[in-house]
Amino acid sequence: MAKANEKLNRIHIALLIYMIELDVTVFALPRLVAKNIGTNGWVGLLALTCVACFNIWLFQIVYRMGKGQSFFQIVEAVVPKWCAYPFYLVLTVFWIAIGSFIGKDFILIFQTLTFQSSSSMMIFSLYCLMVYVLLVKDIYSILKAVTLFFLMTASVNLLAPFFFQDWKLIRFTTSLFQGTEGGHTLHGWTEVYTVFVGYELCLFLFPYVDKKSKLFQGMYTGQLLIGLVQQLAVWVSFGFFSFPELKVLAYPVIHTLEYIEFPFINRVENLVFPFFLFSNLVSTVLFAFAGLSCLKQMFPQARPKLLELFIVIAIFGLGYIPKLLREAEALVFHSFFVEIGVAFVLPLLLMVLLQIGKLRKKGVKA
Amino acid sequence: MKFRIAKMLLRLLAAPQSQATSSAPPSSPDDRATLERTLHELNDCMDLVHRKFPSNGMDVVYFAYLVGNDDLYRDIIQPFSNATVQEAAARLACLPYTEVQNSNVCIDGILEGMAAIFLKGKAYLIRIDEAEGRSIAQSETETVISGPHDGFVENLEQNLSVLRRRIKSSHLKTIELPVGEISKTNVVLAYLEGIANPDFVEALKERIKSVEIDSVMDANMFVQLIDENPNSVFPQFLTTERPDAVASKILGGRIAGFVDGSPSVFCSPTSFFDFFSSPDDYYQRWLLGTSLRILRLVGFLITICFTAFYVSITTFHYEMIPHTMLLNLTESRSRVPFPPLIEALLMETTIELLREAGARLPTKIGQTIGIVGGIVIGQAAVQAGFTSNILIIAVATSAIASFVIPSYIMSASLRLIRFGLIILAGVLGNLGLLMGIGFVIIHLAGITNLGTSYLTPLAPFNAGDVLDTFVRGPFWALRKRPSIVKSSNRTRNKMRR
Repeated sequence: MAKANEKLNRIHIALLIYMIELDVTVFALPRLVAKNIGTNGWVGLLALTCVACFNIWLFQIVYRMGKGQSFFQIVEAVVPKWCAYPFYLVLTVFWIAIGSFIGKDFILIFQTLTFQSSSSMMIFSLYCLMVYVLLVKDIYSILKAVTLFFLMTASVNLLAPFFFQDWKLIRFTTSLFQGTEGGHTLHGWTEVYTVFVGYELCLFLFPYVDKKSKLFQGMYTGQLLIGLVQQLAVWVSFGFFSFPELKVLAYPVIHTLEYIEFPFINRVENLVFPFFLFSNLVSTVLFAFAGLSCLKQMFPQARPKLLELFIVIAIFGLGYIPKLLREAEALVFHSFFVEIGVAFVLPLLLMVLLQIGKLRKKGVKA
Repeated sequence: MKFRIAKMLLRLLAAPQSQATSSAPPSSPDDRATLERTLHELNDCMDLVHRKFPSNGMDVVYFAYLVGNDDLYRDIIQPFSNATVQEAAARLACLPYTEVQNSNVCIDGILEGMAAIFLKGKAYLIRIDEAEGRSIAQSETETVISGPHDGFVENLEQNLSVLRRRIKSSHLKTIELPVGEISKTNVVLAYLEGIANPDFVEALKERIKSVEIDSVMDANMFVQLIDENPNSVFPQFLTTERPDAVASKILGGRIAGFVDGSPSVFCSPTSFFDFFSSPDDYYQRWLLGTSLRILRLVGFLITICFTAFYVSITTFHYEMIPHTMLLNLTESRSRVPFPPLIEALLMETTIELLREAGARLPTKIGQTIGIVGGIVIGQAAVQAGFTSNILIIAVATSAIASFVIPSYIMSASLRLIRFGLIILAGVLGNLGLLMGIGFVIIHLAGITNLGTSYLTPLAPFNAGDVLDTFVRGPFWALRKRPSIVKSSNRTRNKMRR
């Protein structure tokens, strides 16, 4: 009964944004920054955080213009269903694929570290099972789980002081944005921007929030929180490894974890790395949730849990596409590139649709 | 004497309800309470007594084993033995005799321990039941070092009197709801008006009314009929046998449910973390209370993770063990013929067998079993190469840690979950262990109690409640009632430091 009164609040939204954005890309972030932005790349990353905030602002405009209308209400007020449904279908397939590639990439990285001889699809099937049990829950329950996952994942940041002894400020150098591979290109900067992918899914939270929820305050807070953690990862790696070394290390964040040793435990990365399972799981689940929202719009009469099952089977099936780690990485980056486009185009498109809707209403009145 | 006061109190409470029942007209003439119908309905009951009073033609019907002899003599035999019809009728018109018209009400009253009196075609009920049972004693399952030592018993009236003596407030309201079509067990909800959320009271009432079952034997059984996730392994209502804990919960804005015949009382709404606090925390200095709470949470982590972590490390992650420990562990494991997963499952099962045997046997034999199991079998198993001594340490530590959790039911649930985590750790190492923890968290996130989140105050996060959840803050800091109760009167403490 009281469940119906539950509304998302800004803390939960902030944690959700943090967890969606903290996916497999963060392991390679310092390398991406070094390779594409160059020395003192953290400044560039800061600028990219501002770009992400600008993108969130675009969604905020949509929310205000639409007065809290959902994505589907905005689209279907102008576009006929026969035209909108194929569009939803394309988005659904795309988001399910992204969720699948994130999960498979994480499993393949883990397999490289620990389970070289095990079947990655066997491990991925368990991952998909987790996606299913979380996806069948309502958004409030998903957010409750996300809050606990956040606490577990965020505790990894407490390891940062362990690097202090071997961390040298001099490794940052005095030059700015030097030493990139192939100069400064839009492609290179976009490659770094992929670490922010995920906030655009807030579009599907519109029906679950009201004014008290302060959705966008939560989103900006989440974006700043993840921005801080990304800066921490970059700062630790830039002060710990030399600049040329950073450019060749596949996953500098994981390599830094290998350095930590306790008197009672060695090779801490074996214990710490699995904690990132939760953040990748949340990313996959939220992309699946976006796909599920579209499918529910197209098939409102579908039996409960059937669409969720279909989505998880699709995630598992798509997991067969990348067989090697480099294939999975390439797929993640390609799909994230497209997703960045979607993140910028969608709010602009919705603004246009809202404007057309407004003009039509005026026409009818006249 | 105390018991007498309690009974009088309850009689006064029960009287208006009986009057109300009696004033209700019978649904049809066939439902009228008559001697013949009553005797027909209760035939073949060897403990039913039908006593006649020749001097006035009065008939009395009651169950011999349910009534108290003193009350019977004082309220029936002595006043009516030599009374004329007019005198008897005049006495019956006054309290505590209550006229009933409906046959079912009359029969239910007799079944509850009342005596039915029939005179000149009219029926009356009088409560002369004697509650037999153990007297108030210390709870064996929830012991505390300091603080009150009394515990609830099986008698509902006694339990309510214990509560009334602790909360002497006119705002303490009680609602009686019969449950069980055959057993007709009384369930009483107690709450503080103006503090408990009325929506929660209504919701709980409705849920209790919707229970359709033949009988209810215990509060721990009853809560399974009214919880929102019946398939969950976790208890969703906090049950306790301690009156001080129940009084504290009611004062905190929760609703307590008493089930007749059960020494356990359930409280709602409940969060997962309520199961890790004990009344002891409040009877000690706040720093001690806080350290105990943290210890219990550490105990919780050890219970579910320690053995699984051992299995994970010895199966997949040997590189995590420092060199100094590695030699000992390898030497210890070298003679064991089983893989770590099987070894751990065998030892955990043995520990569970020992625990179950200890719980079922009388205390003295139970202790012997503990010694035989813990020392003899443990040591012999290591010497025989059946298991490694480090696993024995892990399993024993996990078992001890599980007993740190104050709620036995929660502790048992966590021990069951541990088996799942061990299997996942044996299959996928640390990733499997964390996947298992992930499954548990996802499951916990879906649980609600009266619509409130089971993970309060973590999700939804409430910083104020953290002061009385993971730590036991000083009393001056515990100003508000917990957010989970959604009370309109949240201020509990106006003291300044």
